[in-house]
Amino acid sequence: MTTGRSLKIGEAGLGAAVLALGAFIAFETSQAPGAANAVVGPALFPYLISAGLILVGLALLREAVTGHIAHAQGLELDGTAVVLVAVGLIIQMLLLETLGWIPASTILFMVVARAFGSRRIVMDAILGLALTAASFGLFNYGLDLNLPVGSVFEELMAEPDDAAE
Amino acid sequence: METLVALSSGFAVAMTPYNLMWSALGVTIGTAIGVLPGIGPALTLALLLPVTYGLEPVSAFIMFAGIYYGAMYGGSTTAILLNTPGESGSIVTAIDGHAMARQGRGAQALATAAIGSFIAGTIATLALTFVAPLMVKLALLFGPAEYFALMVLALTTVTAVLGASLSRGLASLFFGLALGLVGIDLQTGQARLTFGILELLDGIDTVIVAVGLFAIGETLYNAARYRFEKEEIYALKGSKWMGKEDWKRSWKPWLRGTALGFPIGALPAGGSEIPTFLSYLVEKRLSKHPEEFGKGAIEAVAGPEAANNASAAGTLAPLLSLGLPTSATAAIMLAAFQQYGLQPGPLLFDNNPDLVWGMIASLYIGNALLLLLNLPLVGLWVKLLVIPRPWLYAGILVFATLGAYTLNNNVVDLIILWIIGLIGFGMRVLDVPVAPCVVGLILGPLAEQQFRRALAISQGDPTVFFTHPLSLGLLITAALLVLVPVVLKARQNRREQDAQAQI
Repeated sequence: MTTGRSLKIGEAGLGAAVLALGAFIAFETSQAPGAANAVVGPALFPYLISAGLILVGLALLREAVTGHIAHAQGLELDGTAVVLVAVGLIIQMLLLETLGWIPASTILFMVVARAFGSRRIVMDAILGLALTAASFGLFNYGLDLNLPVGSVFEELMAEPDDAAE
Repeated sequence: METLVALSSGFAVAMTPYNLMWSALGVTIGTAIGVLPGIGPALTLALLLPVTYGLEPVSAFIMFAGIYYGAMYGGSTTAILLNTPGESGSIVTAIDGHAMARQGRGAQALATAAIGSFIAGTIATLALTFVAPLMVKLALLFGPAEYFALMVLALTTVTAVLGASLSRGLASLFFGLALGLVGIDLQTGQARLTFGILELLDGIDTVIVAVGLFAIGETLYNAARYRFEKEEIYALKGSKWMGKEDWKRSWKPWLRGTALGFPIGALPAGGSEIPTFLSYLVEKRLSKHPEEFGKGAIEAVAGPEAANNASAAGTLAPLLSLGLPTSATAAIMLAAFQQYGLQPGPLLFDNNPDLVWGMIASLYIGNALLLLLNLPLVGLWVKLLVIPRPWLYAGILVFATLGAYTLNNNVVDLIILWIIGLIGFGMRVLDVPVAPCVVGLILGPLAEQQFRRALAISQGDPTVFFTHPLSLGLLITAALLVLVPVVLKARQNRREQDAQAQI
């Protein structure tokens, strides 16, 4: 559960993050080698944008202190569900190129469904498998885009061919 | 005359069975995806972008135009039956539309939205047909200084107009501009903010940011709120048709909504939020039943929906003729053009007349198809609303990651998507609007290019932006748009404080 108070902290955090991003861009730009011979170099816009970020960050911090925040009455958030979805995406990223699109995205499908309270694991798996298999077929055979087969399966499939040659 | 000839050759392109098929497919998929809760037109376009990769540009943009209009129709269905507007233009529709649905008049609300959208879409497309060539002529007068000023104006209006707080809007805008810096500086070849990561040299793709903010961020937010919110869907029952009274109360709002929506959409002031809101206020003032507003007045659905669709067509005018996106949806369209190596603007009308006019002609066709698709078949789309939420959001994430991965076939894009998604979740919780970020990301680099070009022409004299009258006027307008609301608010606050002090 998130109350008005922690949202106020979040608001201050937003201001601080915007401020920090501005300072960071200014620092990075100052470290980059300067380019000669240009009327306006590649550093001007980064400096302008970082100045804008710093100003907006300060304004947001001021708002957080004076109490102009969103959802002043508090906003309930289910942190577990958010973490579950975020982790599901990481699992997919890690497995995508080894196991391939279908298994990796089926796992993502199941994890997200679980985060939204689904308890029908088998049904989720079947639906996820159907959806990812259908998209794999459509994209790889219909639209000529390459969703990964997965290096594990590629090796398995490649071996009999090698043996034949 | 010239325009009519161009348009008729556009129809010749769009009416070929092959292109007609893509148009029909576009409107159908556009409606189907747009109707899904939580998916607005911008995300629909971003998610369906990969589907068009294999097509010729002309067919791809004909399909794209269909998806755009289809998503607009689909979005209003969701707003009315579920009270979950997929984008800012449907917020007003949702108020009275959902109230009508609760009274069992959902079918009438959907009908007035669909017919109103058709009428507004057709009139506005007609207006687009004639306004776009005029804008092209105007654009030929523009030099880099004017383009830069125009982009500054577009950036400020997208920011100042949306959302409750100016500083939140600006935070979103500057974040988008900062993301736009990443990559190789085109004029000097210097890498900026790439941290030695090879994949960042090409910059961060607009589509990844849009999908990250709209799909991942929204899904995370919905996951967080899922346990605490209840949705009510109202079944369609009773007569499916609008009664005589409904027609009588709808036709004027349709026309007035169109008259508000197109011009405001076509201005770089952009967006659909202002015209829909204005239309609501106008109808409330003119109505004989102002007390019904907010409780299911049909005018409050007819007017804003017409305004919403008319502004969607209006947005295409600056996009096609100036290359200027004024909404998140238009930003995705521009990204799609860039993906095909095309830059909208006067040159596009000269070099690719088939594409531009074929696309405009297909808007007429798509609109007619959508009326057929939405009036008799609305029951079919409504079924999509009852997809269990766990499967809906799981499916959205599968397709979001699919879209991001297929852009360049690398996992780095998925990592960027993840980071942007978490930031989007934070923005959603703290009520920071996301549209300025998307528009800033795509317009920032273009504005910088024009800025440097202008200074190169003036040999480094920075007064060039203020000595050209057009440029000066645009910059002053932009400054006023930011300053006037701030001053007004400060005065209002002081007055409130004075009032409190007196008590």
